[in-house]
Amino acid sequence: MSLIQARGLRKSFRTGFLGRRVEAVRGVDLDVREGEIFGFIGPNGAGKTTTIKLLTGLILPTAGEAWIQGVPVSDPRSRQHLGFLPEGTFFHEYLTGAEFLDFHARLLGIPRDVRRQRIPELLQRVGIPHAADMRLRSYSKGMRQRAGLAQALIGDPDVLILDEPMSGLDPLGRKDVRDLILSLRDEGKTIFFSSHILADAEVICDQVAIIVRGRVVHQGYLDALLGQELSGVELVVEGIDENLFEQVQALAQRALVQGSRFQFEFDDEAEAEKALDWIRSEGGRIRSLVPRRRSLEDLFVEEAKKETHA
Amino acid sequence: MTAGANRIFVIAQNTYREAVREKLLYNLFAFSTLMILSSIVLAKMHLGYDERIYYDVGLAAIAFFGVLIAIFVGINLVYRELAQKTVYTMLAKPVHRWEFVVGKYAGLVSLLALEIGMMAALFMLVVWYKDTQFPIQLLYAIGLIFMELVLITAVALFFSSFTTPYLAAMFTVGLWIIGHLLADIRDFGNLPDAAGIRPITQALYWGLPNLDRLDLKGPAAAGQVIELGTVLSRALYALLYSAMLLIGAVALFQRRDFR
Repeated sequence: MSLIQARGLRKSFRTGFLGRRVEAVRGVDLDVREGEIFGFIGPNGAGKTTTIKLLTGLILPTAGEAWIQGVPVSDPRSRQHLGFLPEGTFFHEYLTGAEFLDFHARLLGIPRDVRRQRIPELLQRVGIPHAADMRLRSYSKGMRQRAGLAQALIGDPDVLILDEPMSGLDPLGRKDVRDLILSLRDEGKTIFFSSHILADAEVICDQVAIIVRGRVVHQGYLDALLGQELSGVELVVEGIDENLFEQVQALAQRALVQGSRFQFEFDDEAEAEKALDWIRSEGGRIRSLVPRRRSLEDLFVEEAKKETHA
Repeated sequence: MTAGANRIFVIAQNTYREAVREKLLYNLFAFSTLMILSSIVLAKMHLGYDERIYYDVGLAAIAFFGVLIAIFVGINLVYRELAQKTVYTMLAKPVHRWEFVVGKYAGLVSLLALEIGMMAALFMLVVWYKDTQFPIQLLYAIGLIFMELVLITAVALFFSSFTTPYLAAMFTVGLWIIGHLLADIRDFGNLPDAAGIRPITQALYWGLPNLDRLDLKGPAAAGQVIELGTVLSRALYALLYSAMLLIGAVALFQRRDFR
C-alpha cells in the first residue's frame, strides 16, 4: 500500500520583475510504500524541496495531485499522522527545547500526561537530553537539526517527510540520524527523505527517486536501479618500476601513488586483466583487486549529465 | 474544547508569548508611561485646566502608543512567522490556514488588551493621585480606543497576508490616517468645485473604516454625556469591519505559497 502518492505533480513560479514563469517541478509521480525508507535525491535546485512542500501542503500545485495515507494533501487531515522536518530548521528561537516540543505537541492535541512522558524521551532519543531547558537560539546547527527531528516525531507519526535531515551534521551526527531513520523503519514507520548526500541514501534506502531539473528520471529499488554488473575494477600493487607504472597508467582511468603502493582504477575489466599480466610478468606484487559495482553516485552523475545535455 | 479551537488557542498563546518578548513593545510602553506621567507636569503649567490636561494627555497617550504597538508589533510578529519560516512546521500539521490567521489575530488582540489595560490603570492612578474624578465616559473612550486597535490589527494582518512588512506598515499607517479624515474627505467631495472627484470621495467614505466613529476622546475629556448604546453600536461596527478584514486575510492566506 502506498502511503505517499503523487501523480503528475507540477509547480511553476513567477520570478523576477517581469514575472517570468519557471517550472520547478515538471510532472512528478511518486509511490512510497508502507514501511520503507524512500530517498529523494537530486542536485541543488532540482525540485526536491518544492516537491516536499507540495506534499506537505505548504505550496499549492499548478497541476497534478498528491495523497498522504490516501487523503489529498490539500486536506489538513492528510497531516494528522505526518511528521515533517523542513530544510533549514526554522524554529521559534525564544522557546526552550522542551517548550518547542510542547508547542508542537499541543498543536496536535496530545494530552498533557503523554507530552510530559514523550518530550524527555524524544530529546533523549535524538541525543540532546541536556538541552531541554536551553533556548533554541543557543543551540548549535546540529542540535537544532536534532530538535527538528524530535519535533517531527512528537506526534508518533506513521509517515515522516524529512527535507535534508543530514545537512549541517558532523559525521557522528549523520551516523546518528541514519541509525534513527533505520530504527524508525524497524518500528514500521514510512520515511521519505531528500538528500544530496548519496552515500547516506545508498546505505539506508529501500527505494530511491532521482530528480533532475524538476523531473523524476529514475525511481525504483536500489538493486534494480544499480544492477549487478561491474562498473570497474580497483587494483593496488607494489614493487613496480617507473616504466611499468607509466604503462599501466596509460590503460587505467585513474592512477594514484601512495608511498610504495600504486592504486589504479579501470572502467574496463579486460584492461585490468592486461595490466595484471604485465605486473605479474615484471614481478610486481598484487595487494588487492576489487571489482566495483555501479554506485548510486555513478547513476546520479550519468542522469544529471544526460539531463544537462538534453 | 474542539480540536480546531485548541489549535487556535495554542497559536494565540504562542503569539502572545512571542510578543511579550518584543523589545519594541517595552520601548513603546515606556514612552507611553512617560507621556501619561508628563500630564502631571503639564497640568502645573496650565493653571485651572488640570483635569482636562490629565484626561487629554492620558487618552492621547493610550491611543497613540496603542496604535503604534498594534501596527509595528503586530506586523512584525506575522512577518517574522513567514520570513523566518517558522510557519512551515505549524502548517505541516493538521492546522487549517484560517486557524493560523485567527490564532495569530487572537494572540495580538490579547496582547493589546493587556497593554491597554496597563496603560489605562496607569492613567487612573495618575488621575486618582491628583484627587481628580475618573468619569465613566473615560472608560467608554478607552473601550473604543481598544476597538480601534482591534480593527487596526485586522488591517495590519490583512496587508501582511500578501505584502512585505514595510509596505504593510505603510498601508496600515496610511489607512489609519485616512480613516480619521473620512468626514473631511466626504465634505471636500461635496464642495461645488469638486463634483468631478465626488464618486471617489464617496467611495472612500463608505468603503474605508471610519475611525473617527471610534474616537470619543474629545467628548469624554470634555465631560460630555456619552450613551452606552452609542459605544456598543460603534464597537459592533469595529467588530464587523475587523471580521470582514479577517475573512479577506484568510482568503489571501488560503492561496499563498510558502516558498
